[in-house]
Amino acid sequence: MATYFSRRNLDFLLYEVFHATELTKYPYFEAHDRETFDMVLDSATHIADTLMYPYYRDVDRNQPELKAGKVTVHPKIKEFLTAVGDAGLIGASFPFEQGGQQLPELIGSCMGFIKMAANNGMMYIGLTSGAANLITTFGSENLISTYVPHLLSGKWQGTMALTEPQAGSSLSDITTSAEPLENGSYLIKGQKVFISAGDHDAVDNVVHLMLARIKGAPKGTKGISLFVVPKSRLTDDGTFVDNDVASTGIYHKLGQRGTPAMHLTMGEEDNCYGWLVGEPNRGLNYMFQMMNEARIGVGMTGAAIASAAYYASLEYAKERPQSRRLNEKNLLDSPQTMIINHPDVKRMLLFQKAVVEGSLSLLMECARLSDLVHVTEGEEKENYELLLDLLTPVAKTFPTEMGVRAVSEGLQVLGGYGFTEDFPLEQMYRDIRITPIYEGTTGIQSQDLLGRKMTIKNGKAPRLLFAEIAKTLEEAQTYDELKPYAERLRKETGRIQEVTASLLPFAMQGNIERFLMDATLYMEMFGIVTVAWQWLKQGIAAKKAQLTLGDTEDAFYESKLHTMKFYFHYEVPKTKGLATRLLDTEVLTLETGKEVIL
Amino acid sequence: MKILVCISNVPDTTAKISFTDNDTKFNKTGVQFIIGPYDDYALARAVELKEQHGGTVTVLNVGESESDPQLRKALAIGADDAIRVNTEPTDSYFVAAQIAHIASQNSYDLILMGRESIDFNSGVVHGLVGEMLGIASYSPVMKLDITGNEAKFAREIDGGKEHLSAALPLVLGCQEPIAEWKIPNMRGIMTARTKSLAVVEPVSVDDSTVLEKYALPAPKGSCRMIPAEEAEQLIALLKTEAKVL
Ligand SMILES: Cc1cc2nc3c(=O)[nH]c(=O)nc-3n(C[C@H](O)[C@H](O)[C@H](O)COP(=O)(O)OP(=O)(O)OC[C@H]3O[C@@H](n4cnc5c(N)ncnc54)[C@H](O)[C@@H]3O)c2cc1C
Repeated sequence: MATYFSRRNLDFLLYEVFHATELTKYPYFEAHDRETFDMVLDSATHIADTLMYPYYRDVDRNQPELKAGKVTVHPKIKEFLTAVGDAGLIGASFPFEQGGQQLPELIGSCMGFIKMAANNGMMYIGLTSGAANLITTFGSENLISTYVPHLLSGKWQGTMALTEPQAGSSLSDITTSAEPLENGSYLIKGQKVFISAGDHDAVDNVVHLMLARIKGAPKGTKGISLFVVPKSRLTDDGTFVDNDVASTGIYHKLGQRGTPAMHLTMGEEDNCYGWLVGEPNRGLNYMFQMMNEARIGVGMTGAAIASAAYYASLEYAKERPQSRRLNEKNLLDSPQTMIINHPDVKRMLLFQKAVVEGSLSLLMECARLSDLVHVTEGEEKENYELLLDLLTPVAKTFPTEMGVRAVSEGLQVLGGYGFTEDFPLEQMYRDIRITPIYEGTTGIQSQDLLGRKMTIKNGKAPRLLFAEIAKTLEEAQTYDELKPYAERLRKETGRIQEVTASLLPFAMQGNIERFLMDATLYMEMFGIVTVAWQWLKQGIAAKKAQLTLGDTEDAFYESKLHTMKFYFHYEVPKTKGLATRLLDTEVLTLETGKEVIL
Repeated sequence: MKILVCISNVPDTTAKISFTDNDTKFNKTGVQFIIGPYDDYALARAVELKEQHGGTVTVLNVGESESDPQLRKALAIGADDAIRVNTEPTDSYFVAAQIAHIASQNSYDLILMGRESIDFNSGVVHGLVGEMLGIASYSPVMKLDITGNEAKFAREIDGGKEHLSAALPLVLGCQEPIAEWKIPNMRGIMTARTKSLAVVEPVSVDDSTVLEKYALPAPKGSCRMIPAEEAEQLIALLKTEAKVL
């Protein structure tokens, strides 16, 4: 049974903090109830327990190989893809008409968490459902019927093919070209790098959702279109032929080695065809709608790896005897104590737990918002959309950046053994490192937060967020034990407002570089406070449960409240230092006219 | 073919077990429940037999409403309808009497269940049900095929297997590898909501046992590592400390 995540915690967040069943009051989700949600999570756990977790190490040690243009992956990948396809889990949240079961994203995101905690090296299905989602949302009937059923069955792989050697963070510099043909398709030519699951032998076909420029299109982001570019294309007589997408390189990576990252070359023989998705030159817009989801998915991967690391190090700390307690140092005849009894080890474990459960809560908040965007209308919808837009870069960044630190502490708990291949922590440490990089680096997310999301619609998004936080504060004030934490969080929101107000004038003066110079530090502060809000929400739910239980003790809730307090006393104070820097007028990273980095 | 599968609602194998009310009540707080793992094998085989031969699979539980999620799961896996006898399953005789009562009202060709539940592990319900209904029962059955009115099956015996055949109807207590556990797929999960789950009241049965109290086994001691080259020390410890030699 699963030791890489806590189902109890997932249930707590789903039903006691986010009241997941309330979504079923909306007609779109009315076919569901708590039992369907629980069964979906049970099925995902079963697949994770039997087809993912046991192969965590194995897929890392037996990396994909590129030989004579063919990519082979671990044999279990095919079994896994077939199982998730057969279980109908790849497109579970798609509408009924498109072969899905209208499962709320809130539940879908928990499935993602479980699977990535079990084995994040098997990235495949998130990419496939993302690609299928793009086709169903923006593609023609013909594209939908040709590709989507195969993708949802797990027999074909979907990818997101954006990055090029000269265009990583800067997608406006994409040069892959698309030349219109008379039959309505396009001739594609160019190169893509780092394409995850970009080619492999566990599927019959690979379908790239690719950004390219139609010949003569405007420069920059306004000239980018989205195409379906399959590895094998369907001909008029119903057979499949090679579509001239060559695997010209495979990256040897630090982590997530179960999934190949491919260098692809399209159109070397002028025989690569693509099909336009939606309208010309709208590609980046379409992709961005999907990227929000993908960013939350990457945040979820960060939280999930940190969860697996937390439970691995917790187990170790309970069983490893070492040293005597600081107050018993001279009692050399007494047996050694378990390391979990040392305050410093406790601190590392509580830090991990605070990061994992705080991140997960923020990610589930985002998933619930995306469900609400789906089922509401008018101003209500717009408000949910704005809140989700604001929180997305934070939900990508906090769980990944803090996740890296949490896994590092997990490794530290194991001492020297953590650094060896005898324990999984070294792999988790390698695996999680990519998460602050792909789907937009932390630097890019931070500029998005401060440069766009804080200012769109005259700052309406942060106003909505502070209003939500105020609701939580009000509720927290009704519990004596939570009052001091509500007060602290209120002060922290004030700090964010003060710092934001001090930076905005630079934007108004058009000095964008000065405005965004320390955006990453701003993000760090913003993330700490946003997750403090999530912890207070969890504190309220735990307090409520304790009052209902009366005299019956439940260690789970006690541990929740304890971790909430830990977060407020150990992590929240860090905002002070960050704010000090952000308000500092000394500028050291802008152009000074002198060489200062030697 | 009409198949009845009896399932128990048991704590997950990793659940922390504790008791309340002077050790007379199992503390269910925070415990996750599952279909008894052996019952789950029986259910999986029943669904496969239905796929091969047609017919229906009814799933039955003697228990209170907290069992409903497990019945729904069985429906999602492929059972056609469910019955819950609405009562606390106090002991094996009581449960067997409830099952026999339901079975006597419907003529089932096969009554399958796990070889034992994993909470109280009495392992006698299939035998009792067979006796009450006057039909043959076998356990633990690890392979099962049906041709016409005849069942061919294998039973685990000390050090091997025995291969048997018998005419239907039969009551069988099942175990692995009779089938592989099935997980509900999305479509099954959604259609389970539309299938019937009938709740019926129990028949009265004389109390045969009275529970006095539960007790947990003594906690496991910590692990001690003894280097391979010091086998003599190991033997001494097994004699003097563990007292197993
Ligand atoms: C394992 C792996 C899997 C991947 N999978 C995919 C995939 O499936 N599909 C796909 O399309 N791509 C994929 N990528 C590519 C990934 O999204 C890019 O690597 C990422 O967006 C960064 O681009 P880059 O590597 O070119 O770095 P660069 O853009 O060169 O960035 C280098 C550094 O400069 C900083 N920087 C860049 N521009 C700015 C700026 N304007 N302001 C401040 N700082 C800046 C960055 O934050 C970063 O720290 C994958 C990458 C890896 C490593």
